[in-house]
Amino acid sequence: MTSGALIFQSVVLGLLLGGLYALLASGLTLYFGIMRVVMIAHSAFLILAAYLAWWSHTRFGVDPLLSLVVTVPLFFAAGVLLQRGLLSRLRPATLTMMSVLLTFAIAVIIEGLLGYAFTGTQRRIQLGYGTANLELFGARIAVVKLIAFGLAAAALLTLYLLLKRTTFGWALRATIQHPDAARLVGIDTNRVAGHGFGIGLATAAVGGTALALDTTIYPSLHWHWIGPLMAIIVVGGLGSVPGAAAAAMVLGLTQSLLQIPLNTTWAQTVFYLALLATLAFRPQGFFGGRLAQRF
Amino acid sequence: MSTRLTKKRWATALGATVATLALAACSGGEQGSASTDDPIVVGISLPLTGDFSEPGKGVQRGYQAWAKIVNEKGGLLGRPVELKILDDQSNADRVVSDYEQLIGQDQVDVVVGPFSTRLVVPAARVAEEYGMLFVEPAGAAKEVFEQGFKNLFYAAPAVANDHYNHLAEYILGLPAGQRPTTAAYAAMDDPFAQGTAYGLKEKLEAGGIRTVVDEVYPPNTTEFSGIAAKIASSKADIVVGGSQYQDGVNLIVALQQLAYQPKLAAFSTAPTSPEFAAAIGNKTEGILAPTGYTQQAPYPSNVEFVEKYTTQFGTPPEEDEANAYTTGQVVAAAITAVGCAEQGDCQRKLIEWVRGNTVETVVGPLSWDATGKPKGAHMIQQWVGGEIQIVLPGDAKEADIVYPKPAW
Repeated sequence: MTSGALIFQSVVLGLLLGGLYALLASGLTLYFGIMRVVMIAHSAFLILAAYLAWWSHTRFGVDPLLSLVVTVPLFFAAGVLLQRGLLSRLRPATLTMMSVLLTFAIAVIIEGLLGYAFTGTQRRIQLGYGTANLELFGARIAVVKLIAFGLAAAALLTLYLLLKRTTFGWALRATIQHPDAARLVGIDTNRVAGHGFGIGLATAAVGGTALALDTTIYPSLHWHWIGPLMAIIVVGGLGSVPGAAAAAMVLGLTQSLLQIPLNTTWAQTVFYLALLATLAFRPQGFFGGRLAQRF
Repeated sequence: MSTRLTKKRWATALGATVATLALAACSGGEQGSASTDDPIVVGISLPLTGDFSEPGKGVQRGYQAWAKIVNEKGGLLGRPVELKILDDQSNADRVVSDYEQLIGQDQVDVVVGPFSTRLVVPAARVAEEYGMLFVEPAGAAKEVFEQGFKNLFYAAPAVANDHYNHLAEYILGLPAGQRPTTAAYAAMDDPFAQGTAYGLKEKLEAGGIRTVVDEVYPPNTTEFSGIAAKIASSKADIVVGGSQYQDGVNLIVALQQLAYQPKLAAFSTAPTSPEFAAAIGNKTEGILAPTGYTQQAPYPSNVEFVEKYTTQFGTPPEEDEANAYTTGQVVAAAITAVGCAEQGDCQRKLIEWVRGNTVETVVGPLSWDATGKPKGAHMIQQWVGGEIQIVLPGDAKEADIVYPKPAW
């Protein structure tokens, strides 16, 4: 009954979905890498960015992608402020635990403000190319999904080059790997961590915009995303951006393919099964990232 | 769950005891007939705070509009109508004591129902213990009609499983060459949303239309490309969505992205939302949806209702308001026909009258089966020419149904 065409179509959809997951999860793994912060509010910032994209589209008629010009710097600044003003004040001994509480509160505040500003009405950006699609060997590829994938690829590549090829990237990675040693060689780890956090939040601006292109959004939508994203970064190895990207692709593809023989409920469960398997058999993650071993 | 059930049982037992005592206390007293200028007091308990406060307030506005319109015309049996509304705080235990207070202590003349299925059942039980007529504006789930109530009537055109009846009849009535042969269903795992789609599925399957996709998704699903891929790959002639809002919209867009072109697409709830066109723009053409109430429905009392409601509250009424108004209309029709409105034997006559008659309302003529389930079906609306218009049934239509639907 299952045709080759359906399988191929599902592979295509799975890869596109995986790309989006990778983008949405990249910031989350970065925060953890930099300062062992579990950032529950990451998905709330994603939805905030999505709302800003929707709002600038409805209010000014500009393409949602243009909102990135404003939201990326804005989110970077917000990230620096958040890290310097709040998270860096938490006591190192209880940082990971307390960051959950603190960012949980931030998530609830963002959700409340979104509901206050835009009401609970579910919104969707109406795009002229919202349902446009290309044909590839019989499979259909939605233009908006392709754009989201492109955004993900561009953002992740930039992040990768930034971490690997720039002095700031070296400083950031040094801070991730060994803060004390980094300080000894003269790195201002506090400043670096603040900027790193800002970059994480900037990925949320890109991710939220990509999400808004092809999703109906509402203030409480972030609770739906935080679980799968957390699962992705654990499977990928906490703190590893390439690991998170690889885990996201694998899980997106698996979810899409499982949808064929099973149903949506079981296809969604793949995240939690992967999380369970990772914690049971390979707590440091399946795709690099040795951070978890240190805890 | 079991504790809640136990609690409910206790509440019922307690309710029964109180009822017995109250009856015993009353039987000695005189059941004197009310004088002509005494108001007819209508007792209602509504969730004005808590989880259901939004729809609860809508229902309240509907009742208020009904009382105002009735009183402007001189009331019922020459007596003015007065509402006595208590706040049950969306709490099922509270609703029981509210109705006991209304009936036993406040001696209201008639009671009407609260909001939400969860509250309708305990409230109806109290009303039944006192032998009161119980017309209710909410509670479309099938459990309501499985309790064996003899006094309950749901004042809306249809329960979830019957929403698509007019469409089923239309599809099965098509000539053999045009009739679809395969259908795909996707429904949210929710008794209401799934009930609508499965109601149609059952009838179409019985009529020989083969089900090629049958997907059920959890309520929090937002990613629909997988389901859409299955439906598109099945090339089903028609697609039916048992949806609420965001799931319906996301599924429709996902299907369009895969260039799937069915002959007919029907989705519950989403297409009738004012936000729908804002979300998917000009890609709405031909999409069908069942609707329990529309401001455009041509029934005479509806024209009056929409006009006067809008003057009173500033915005036109929605479904919750209309259901409450309909409830009022049913009770008013019974009171006028029977010629009495008080507790006691009069209530039995009111119940008998409602069971045996058809009432003209803002949602069309209503009549009920023995369990209090309405015998009607929902109107079917379709997006035609950039507007959502009634296409079925024939006697209420604003536009002709377009089948097969244009490409989206």
